[in-house]
Amino acid sequence: MEDHKAPFRIQHPDLESLHRGLDRRNFLQKTAMGFGALALQGLFLGNEAKGASIQDQIMEALPRIAPKAKRVVYLFMSGGPSQFETFDYKPELSRWMGKDLPDSIRQGQRLTGMSANQAILPVVPSAFGFKQYGKNRTWVSDLLPYTAQMADDLCIIKSMYTEQINHDPAITFFQTGHQLPGRPSIGSWLSYGLGSENKNLPAFIVMVSKNASKDQPLYARLWGNGFLPSEHQGVQFRSGKDPVLFLNNPEGYEGADRKEMLDYLKQLNTFQNETWADPEIDARISQYEMAFRMQTSVPEVMDVSDEPDEVFELYGKDSRDKGSFAANCLLARKLLEKDVRFVQLYHQGWDHHDSLPKNIINPCKQTDQASAALLMDLKRRGMLDDTLVIWSGEFGRTVYSQGKLSPTGYGRDHHPKCFSMWMAGAGVKPGTYGETDDFSYNIVKDPVHVHDFQATLLHLLGINHEELIYKYQGRRFRLTDVHGKLVSGILS
Amino acid sequence: MKFFVLLFFMGFFTLPLLAGPKEKFALPSDVVQAMRELPSALDFNIDVKPILSDKCFSCHGPDKAKQKAGLRLDMSDHAYGELPESPGKFAIVRGNIGNSEMVHRILSKDPKYVMPSPKSHLELSPKEKAVLVKWIQNGAEYKPHWAFVKPIKKEVPAGKNPVDYFVQSKLKALNLGSSPKANRHFLLRRLSFDLTGLPPTSQEIREFVEDSSPNAYEKQVDRLLNSAHFGERMAADWLDIARFADSHGYTIDRIRDMSPYRDWVIQAFNRNMPYDRFIHYQLAGDLMPNPSKDMLIATAFNRNHPQNTEGGIVEEEFQMEYVLDRVNTFGDAFLGLSTGCARCHDHKFDPISQKNYYQLSSFFNTVREAGQISYNDDMPSPTMLLPTAKQEEVLTFIKTKIQRAEEKLKAHQVVNEARKGWLASEEAKGLAAAAQPSTRGLQAHFSFEGNLTSKLLPKDVGIMKRESGKTGDVPVFVSGKQGSGLEFDGDVYADFQGVGVFRKSDPFTIGMWVYIPKDLKEGVIFHKSNAERLYNFKGFHVYLKNNRLEILMAHTAPSNAIMKMTQADVPRETWIHLALTYDGSSRADGFHLYMNGQKAAMETLVDALDKDIIFYSKQEPGLQIGGWWRGLGFKGGKADEVYVYKRALRPYEMALLAAKPQAFDLEDYYAFAVDSSRILLAEDLRHWRKALSDSSEKIQELMVMREMNFPKKSFILKRGVYDAPGEEVFPNTPEKILPFSASLPKNRYGLARWLTDRNNPLTARVAVNRLWQQVFGQGIVKTSEDFGNQGEMPTNLELLDYLALDFQEKGWDIKGVLKQMVMSETYQQDSKASPELREKDPENRFLARGPSARLSAEMMRDNALVASGLLNPNIGGKSIYPYQPEGLWEINSHSYKQDTTQAIYRRSLYVVVKRSVPNPMMATFDASARSSCLPRRQKTTTPLQALVLMNDPTFLEASKVLGLQMAQAKNNKEAIQEAYLRLTGREIKAEELTILQALQEKEFGIFSKQEQKAKGLLAAGMFKIPAGVDRNKVASFTVVASVMMNSDASITKR
Repeated sequence: MEDHKAPFRIQHPDLESLHRGLDRRNFLQKTAMGFGALALQGLFLGNEAKGASIQDQIMEALPRIAPKAKRVVYLFMSGGPSQFETFDYKPELSRWMGKDLPDSIRQGQRLTGMSANQAILPVVPSAFGFKQYGKNRTWVSDLLPYTAQMADDLCIIKSMYTEQINHDPAITFFQTGHQLPGRPSIGSWLSYGLGSENKNLPAFIVMVSKNASKDQPLYARLWGNGFLPSEHQGVQFRSGKDPVLFLNNPEGYEGADRKEMLDYLKQLNTFQNETWADPEIDARISQYEMAFRMQTSVPEVMDVSDEPDEVFELYGKDSRDKGSFAANCLLARKLLEKDVRFVQLYHQGWDHHDSLPKNIINPCKQTDQASAALLMDLKRRGMLDDTLVIWSGEFGRTVYSQGKLSPTGYGRDHHPKCFSMWMAGAGVKPGTYGETDDFSYNIVKDPVHVHDFQATLLHLLGINHEELIYKYQGRRFRLTDVHGKLVSGILS
Repeated sequence: MKFFVLLFFMGFFTLPLLAGPKEKFALPSDVVQAMRELPSALDFNIDVKPILSDKCFSCHGPDKAKQKAGLRLDMSDHAYGELPESPGKFAIVRGNIGNSEMVHRILSKDPKYVMPSPKSHLELSPKEKAVLVKWIQNGAEYKPHWAFVKPIKKEVPAGKNPVDYFVQSKLKALNLGSSPKANRHFLLRRLSFDLTGLPPTSQEIREFVEDSSPNAYEKQVDRLLNSAHFGERMAADWLDIARFADSHGYTIDRIRDMSPYRDWVIQAFNRNMPYDRFIHYQLAGDLMPNPSKDMLIATAFNRNHPQNTEGGIVEEEFQMEYVLDRVNTFGDAFLGLSTGCARCHDHKFDPISQKNYYQLSSFFNTVREAGQISYNDDMPSPTMLLPTAKQEEVLTFIKTKIQRAEEKLKAHQVVNEARKGWLASEEAKGLAAAAQPSTRGLQAHFSFEGNLTSKLLPKDVGIMKRESGKTGDVPVFVSGKQGSGLEFDGDVYADFQGVGVFRKSDPFTIGMWVYIPKDLKEGVIFHKSNAERLYNFKGFHVYLKNNRLEILMAHTAPSNAIMKMTQADVPRETWIHLALTYDGSSRADGFHLYMNGQKAAMETLVDALDKDIIFYSKQEPGLQIGGWWRGLGFKGGKADEVYVYKRALRPYEMALLAAKPQAFDLEDYYAFAVDSSRILLAEDLRHWRKALSDSSEKIQELMVMREMNFPKKSFILKRGVYDAPGEEVFPNTPEKILPFSASLPKNRYGLARWLTDRNNPLTARVAVNRLWQQVFGQGIVKTSEDFGNQGEMPTNLELLDYLALDFQEKGWDIKGVLKQMVMSETYQQDSKASPELREKDPENRFLARGPSARLSAEMMRDNALVASGLLNPNIGGKSIYPYQPEGLWEINSHSYKQDTTQAIYRRSLYVVVKRSVPNPMMATFDASARSSCLPRRQKTTTPLQALVLMNDPTFLEASKVLGLQMAQAKNNKEAIQEAYLRLTGREIKAEELTILQALQEKEFGIFSKQEQKAKGLLAAGMFKIPAGVDRNKVASFTVVASVMMNSDASITKR
């Protein structure tokens, strides 16, 4: 009967009237439950008719799964990092160098328009060596020496697969659960489902590396709210003068001035609301207060001048260069310390259709040390226990060379049927999961679909992915669409 | 046994039931309680069906594939029938709950037995259970879904505004009253925003307030409906429906200009084009009789969808994506139904089967378009050219010249004397005996005898290349047709840079021997272009496809092109001679392929080349043989003896080129190749054709709909996937909505007329509901995007039906129906709500008070521009680039170039929409991202909105200008009053004035104390404070203006 307990409900037609009847802020203060209780945007209090108290209703609506992760940092390697040059060691390939990919391996898998018309598909092994690290003797490429040092903390999934073979659909699929634009991103779902624990910062923050090669563009819908209310969209933090758009007051017009102005504005709004008695006006007044708090808290959290030199050394010399991946990693740690729910970093430059051995060096250098440092930093602060760190691209790359093969001059096309990613921290078991064949072309053990990854991510945050829904245009939508199953094999 | 279990779980609260021969049976106490509170009569549509649809239909609804246990509850005969998998049992026995399996199921606590199944994560509340039980008890009457039944028009008492009649009847039934009339300030602001999207000016306010005539209000209504800004207001909403944008969307999100469509929409609304025609133009303007330019422009509606440039995408996949986007938009925009749900399976809630969906797709699957659009700025074809009046004049002039030159050439008579002279010449004698055509006009000849050098000019040398032009490969010479020839592996090709660069005005001939291997299915033989598809093909090619040869000459493939296909199979494993020849006419009848010296019989697929076939680049690609970047090459094929001529060879020359013995027709040759007076005429013609090309190049293109000569077949796509075709389908509409009349053409025009058929139950309802939403803030059907089973019921069906039928009967008169709405007392009510009223009807669904709403994104910015006097009221034209923080577009590898002219002050509906990076101000206030059709925007309140209104230069600048005006006024108090009136549309109250005056004085003190403090505040925007003004005073008033602008009185229309 375990599964028959009143489940965590997110949307219901009765909801609107319910919400109206409740003052959200008081509600929270009264219950003061912090994590997990804040899914108010969409809570269905199913016991309403039974006359249960508000507290009981909240308890009833709490996630059934004990959350392992309180917050997430997702390092998105945009462009599709090659598994051959990172985590999926394939020593057998050297025997196949230059030979046409056997049909028995390809099995009719469709190719992109970039290599589909190639007359031959020559197999190419990695130009880089691999070594074993840590107690788990994990194979990691020589390109990622720092990450390798953290190997015993990583849960490397070698058996990821997706449906999409081109960047736009594949990234959109990874980040929103659907290949076409219009669905909410992972971070938006979490903001919607779990709310924010920090009153002064958005629940979902995005940073894009300034120092990456922009081989494939990004688009704001990757952190968009889709059909969810727009307060759940990811807020981009930028390295320039205005870290959040329009956060800065005009030069010379200081916080005290703004406060003064807002006091008068509040007086005016309060007076106007004497006529209208409109809860909308109250909501707006509190949003202005939040905006003002953000004006202080965002610059504060972005100020790294107090960080000791040792920290900059840990994250690498780039970390002093604002907007670089390393600097963003350091900022991510600070945001996580402030209990920001979901921090997402994007680093472009992983799309290596040609000259891969030359071109992959930079993105590795730009991200390796800082990714490992972030892990280590979270770990030594005790935060890795309840923080989930994710590293992935949108798909893998082909075992064959796109274009002409030479020992150092090969390229790899997009490959959806298998690729590697890692997770670390809260709730995941270090080690490797899943296996690919000798060509890293097909999965031979424990396949993990993108929707499975999403389901597992939600599970780690205490949410059953089938229950986090939002009703839109008459349909109940989920991050995992109608798919996804928990990958229990990676749970600690 | 189950019955026992049921009792056990239910807490033994029993209620004697009237129905059923069986013994008494128990209902849970909460259900009994809920049943007591239900109205005595339940309405199937209002009370029951929403529950069935939401909680039951996903497994027992219209989706045949998902029906569990063979039960469907959406149709009465199924629901009443014996359960296919449980003989002797019935889901519903009318009037007998004890015998109704459904009742037992929904009341059960047994997870294995209860419905909805716990696996569905759906649950029925006690009230919902009560409704279902009571409904079955009362006889389980089914009624068709209201929206699929034709509207019925109820009579309205004479002299009564129908809006008021129906709204007030409903209010009476709900025991609610109406509110008094709003005061004129609020009313005019509300009306001005609703009809023009702009606030009233202080002048307009004063005129209205002082107008004592009895029809003062109606005068305002008429003024605003006739304002040229009316069309802009209407367009702002329609562009959300039409998913209009300035960029292609998807990853490489290039800017493209579709503004002529926006201009058309604005003008259509301003001219009050009847809504039926408005639909017809947009869906099928090109198929209507004698399509005008406007009708063609309107068809851009179906080309506004996102399109993908990404290099690796599968052509067919995205072609299908675009077709299905049209189907989805069609459903959302006109039917209020989410047809998109039927892409992968039958619709779970509404009567649209997967077959219906793909039948609809076949109306839209008729355009020859690219899946992967061009990597440069070429507009994806098909397009229409939109010359300006001046360009048109030039074109007409040139076209007349061309026509005359063609006539002259045709009429040209050879001078016998001269011909005789030539016939006696050495050249003529030589030709008479020649086995080869004359070398007149020969540009290059490659014989491949161990090199790629032209025999004519040694500087013309081919290079072997592969993808993206990489060099380093060596040519493979094999035994050829004559001596050695060149062999290809499909990846590497020979590039003869500089040779074969022809424009569409240039006649040319390219001939060569080729050897086609036995098993090559598809691949290019030779071409002049950059790549197979990256640039959507510009240039020309000869391509082997399905044993036929395709010849193509394109500005932007596939539709701005000439495309022909041979009708006979090609011979293989033997040397054949192919020659492509073209006369410079830009017409299919001047573009031919010769095979072995004979003109090949061909079918013309496209004949619509209207711009040039070159890139205008410094490194213009030349003739390439044997392969290309990212396309299928001539794998295993061979080529030999390539001749490139700068003229169209005569037929007997083509035979000679193919080594077919053929007498040289000297007289003909003289006329076409030697006669200098004819050559001059031909040169003149070429000159004007080139001029036409040059003059056309910069002419604006607009993506439009154009039918293919031979429509593609349409299929049901299994799981919605492009490469899993099932049954073939043909144009048809969902029969449950309205069968497609046999008298209608089976094309988009027929579909458009089906929409506006008197018997279509949806189109008019959906349209008037959206107009209602525009005016009253929310629709009579709140889910204006969904009229289906999962949508909300109309709050007032009689009203909706009346308006819909009236709309149809009065000729789909948009301004008429809007006037009817805003002239109602209902609209003119005060929007204040007493606490009781707010409690009873918090969302104002029943309109016991007037509508109020936060300004839309567009209105918010326009309000600031009008109030400050900055607005540039020009209507129409290209999109604008207002202030935007730097660096935003960089994530998408583009850079934003802000306008530097007065364009920056134009209305917000012109703000550029780059789909990948929305304008932050617009997006923060819930503007659509324009990826798909959006009939209803969200309405949110967020802290980011506060930041925008406080710090976006648009609003800071407007505050500054208002601040300057106030600072320059004689009287501070009056100045504040005037600015307040402009921003909020109403007189300031004494208390407000006190607050703002105090603020100004305080701020003035602060600014005056610190010299440079005002600098930043006054720096926003292009507007400069004139010299000689007290900048501290301006700054203090700027803060005052900003506070007003951020206050509810400005933000909300009440």
